[in-house]
Amino acid sequence: MNKLPSEENMTTRDTNETNDEGQVSRRSFLGLMGTGAVCAGAAITATSSASSLLGHASGGNAYQQSDAQRIESLANPPKIPDYDWNKHKWAFGVDTDRCIGCLRCMEACKAENSVQEDANHHRTWVERYVYLEGSDKAIVDSQTDPKNIEVTGSEMRYRFDNRYKDVKVDKAYFVPKLCNQCEKPSCVQVCPTGATFKAPDGVVLIDAKYCIGCQYCVQACPYGVRSFNEQRGTAEKCNWCYHRITKGLNPACVEACPTGTRVFGDRNDKDSPISEFIRNHRVMVLKPEMGNEPNVFYVGIDKEVS
Amino acid sequence: MPKHIVRLLAVIAVIAIIAITARTYFKDPSFYQYGHYRGNAPAEIASKIPKLRGSDTCKSCHKAVYAEWTGGIHNKASKDGTSKTVVVKYGPNCEVCHTSAAGNHPSKEAMPLSVEDQVHSIVHPKHHTLATNVPGKKLLLSPEEARSVCLNCHEKMPGRPKEQRQIAIDSHAGVEMCVTCHNPHSPKIDFSFVPRMVAMQKVFVGNAVAGKSVSASCAGCHGATGVSVSANIPNLAGQNSGYLSSSLRAFKSKVRDNDMMSAIAAGMSEADIENVSAFYSQNSCKVTGGDRAKVAAGKAKVATAGCAACHNAGGLRGAGAPGISGSKSWPNLAGQNAEYLGATLKAFQNSTRYHTVMTSVAKTLSAADIDNLVAYYASVDCK
Ligand code: HEC
Ligand code: HEC
Ligand code: HEC
Ligand code: HEC
Ligand code: HEC
Ligand code: HEC
Repeated sequence: MNKLPSEENMTTRDTNETNDEGQVSRRSFLGLMGTGAVCAGAAITATSSASSLLGHASGGNAYQQSDAQRIESLANPPKIPDYDWNKHKWAFGVDTDRCIGCLRCMEACKAENSVQEDANHHRTWVERYVYLEGSDKAIVDSQTDPKNIEVTGSEMRYRFDNRYKDVKVDKAYFVPKLCNQCEKPSCVQVCPTGATFKAPDGVVLIDAKYCIGCQYCVQACPYGVRSFNEQRGTAEKCNWCYHRITKGLNPACVEACPTGTRVFGDRNDKDSPISEFIRNHRVMVLKPEMGNEPNVFYVGIDKEVS
Repeated sequence: MPKHIVRLLAVIAVIAIIAITARTYFKDPSFYQYGHYRGNAPAEIASKIPKLRGSDTCKSCHKAVYAEWTGGIHNKASKDGTSKTVVVKYGPNCEVCHTSAAGNHPSKEAMPLSVEDQVHSIVHPKHHTLATNVPGKKLLLSPEEARSVCLNCHEKMPGRPKEQRQIAIDSHAGVEMCVTCHNPHSPKIDFSFVPRMVAMQKVFVGNAVAGKSVSASCAGCHGATGVSVSANIPNLAGQNSGYLSSSLRAFKSKVRDNDMMSAIAAGMSEADIENVSAFYSQNSCKVTGGDRAKVAAGKAKVATAGCAACHNAGGLRGAGAPGISGSKSWPNLAGQNAEYLGATLKAFQNSTRYHTVMTSVAKTLSAADIDNLVAYYASVDCK
């Protein structure tokens, strides 16, 4: 902990509300163009086609790198103190058998990442699957359910109510959800500005400076992990606390979890918690049929969970 | 060349110039460095300052609390059953309960408002919904907030794995605050600290005058002022109002079931319950007296059975009056009818009346113990 660089040496660009010149003028430029929609449309098309003519564009998929770019990221990785993104392959495990549905992960995440505090904005959340006796269909709710909001007395607190206390429940469990940091992220493919991308260490990041808030990515994600942050005017999602993991810390939700449900680590390290987790459990991913190849591995979920 | 073609070419040229200028002017030099994105972005994202700093950061200043927590059940580390190397930590750490010390902490040197929050509060006063601005979301939890924090993890609920310790609220705590019996930092009960000094206790506001008229229907059994007409009916006079009202609610919901009382309580409104409780609690009690021969034996048993932890104003530390409970939501036993007390303890023993704590305590008592204990409590001064 005490190895952290002091606050003055650090930037906190992700707020995006700094009077950073490039970004604001980009915004106002687009605003200006908005008045002459034709011009703006033409300009953007021209820009991107021009760039592909100049040979910058990558192969078929936006998340793939050209050979030159791959060599660049190996030889000259971003300047993050004590961190080389080529040396890591992050992955996440969720053992739903342990989850008690306390939602402390969500609260810790919101504090850590300054996510909007109402129950409908979240980077990570928890769902409850309940099978009543004699029914094969799961009833699903999460902290956004009005009854669950009511029981906390405030939109700023998160909790599951005890509505199934007096009914016969056959089976019930909680499932934490978060960004899957897919190998083939559909959100990256649809982003028109290159504001979201997949880093070589496996994490899909959002560059708030380049995000124009068009919300294509929110639509594209098959797991619904993206939301729109009205405060910042940008898309928002879990990045496994990139600012923590690059400093050797665990993501905030993993730190907060009181039962060891959440497991995080580096798959390049054979002794890391996540490598052990994957080795010792039969794991599965959400919606494998989508072909996104998620990097969050689940234990203990039914096929209904998606 | 025809005029309209020239015009068209001019328009295309203008658009092309705008596009190329826009591109050279706005495109970040690091764009396309590693791919279709800004090459500087990863380092910028990584440079954010972590806000949750881990329990170890609290150690230097809060030594005593930290030691309690590390030694207690809320910081239990155990090997994951499936792996030899991975250690799983159970239990909440400091920042789970004292949500996000950054920006909230009374010691601003220790936990300054993060740069990010400062920026936010200046730029977006309207939408400002950060932890610092949410009323009641302070670092130090009030007992009621603490109760809701504890229940996040410990309320008995379908879906929670059975390995997690869970309690049914009504029969475990009623309206009482968890921190009166449990130290949040090391929650295994240490009876010598029960009841713990809690900064704020729930205040019951009933109207005693209005309660008097409600009490008319009770007088046949509980007497006009709450001194009962028969030894198997409890005295209510001078009883703690919090306990009276929680008992009436328990009868109403049948958590505590009694043929006579459940029927009566079923017809009472919340206001009736608070008012009649206020009425009885302000009346003066009357010691009914117990079997003299057994009083001394009972007094000795009280000392060893640990009843004083909760049924003595000073707890096991012993400073208070015996039989007067340490919390307003627990019953005073002083001067209560011996016959009623004896029947009640037996009811706890065979779970016809259930309360997690009292049921397990009562099971440690023999029939002779009960006789002696109730004789003692019936005889002690109830003022
Ligand atoms: C540099 C020393 C320092 C560190 C580190 C520190 N604290 Fe404190 N803490 C204080 C001081 C000073 C007070 C104020 C005591 C008072 O007002 O009586 C305080 C008070 C508190 C209080 C009581 C708040 C109140 O309103 O009375 C809580 C809870 C608390 N700290 C939690 C934490 C937690 C959790 C951490 C670790 C994340 C932490 N502190 C780290 C110095 C520190
Ligand atoms: C299970 C929730 C929980 C956890 C975990 C927890 N606290 Fe507390 N803490 C409380 C509550 C509730 C109070 C209110 C005091 C009371 O009622 O006894 C409190 C009070 C305090 C106080 C002020 C009163 C005192 O006893 O000095 C400090 C300081 C404090 N906590 C620091 C910490 C630190 C440091 C840690 C981590 C080592 C920690 N707490 C972990 C719930 C918690
Ligand atoms: C974030 C979840 C969480 C919160 C909040 C929490 N606890 Fe716990 N508590 C746990 C876990 C996990 C354990 C360890 C269970 C085990 O492995 O035995 C535990 C253990 C306990 C035990 C010990 C049970 C036993 O005898 O073994 C008690 C008592 C307890 N907690 C009371 C409290 C109280 C009182 C509060 C509120 C101040 C509280 N807890 C808040 C998660 C939590
Ligand atoms: C009247 C005092 C009292 C109050 C109030 C109280 N408890 Fe307890 N609690 C006890 C005793 C006594 C035990 C059993 C002793 C032990 O195992 O340490 C216990 C045990 C527990 C356990 C462990 C249960 C198990 O199955 O092992 C948990 C969890 C717990 N309490 C949570 C809470 C919570 C949460 C609250 C607040 C809603 C609360 N308690 C209020 C006295 C109390
Ligand atoms: C028919 C007789 C009868 C009437 C009328 C009656 N009670 Fe009771 N009450 C009892 C008996 C018997 C008990 C003991 C129940 C038990 O053993 O659990 C009792 C228990 C109680 C208790 C629990 C006391 C304790 O120490 O746990 C309260 C509070 C109470 N009555 C309030 C009232 C109020 C208020 C009314 C009027 C609205 C009322 N009762 C009317 C017979 C009566
Ligand atoms: C950890 C705290 C605790 C301890 C220790 C404890 N009690 Fe209790 N006792 C309670 C609480 C809380 C209640 C209220 C239960 C309810 O609301 O139903 C209670 C209720 C009772 C009652 C019922 C009173 C009435 O008016 O109905 C009797 C009798 C009693 N206790 C006797 C004892 C005796 C005797 C001992 C020692 C052997 C003892 N208790 C130890 C907490 C405690």
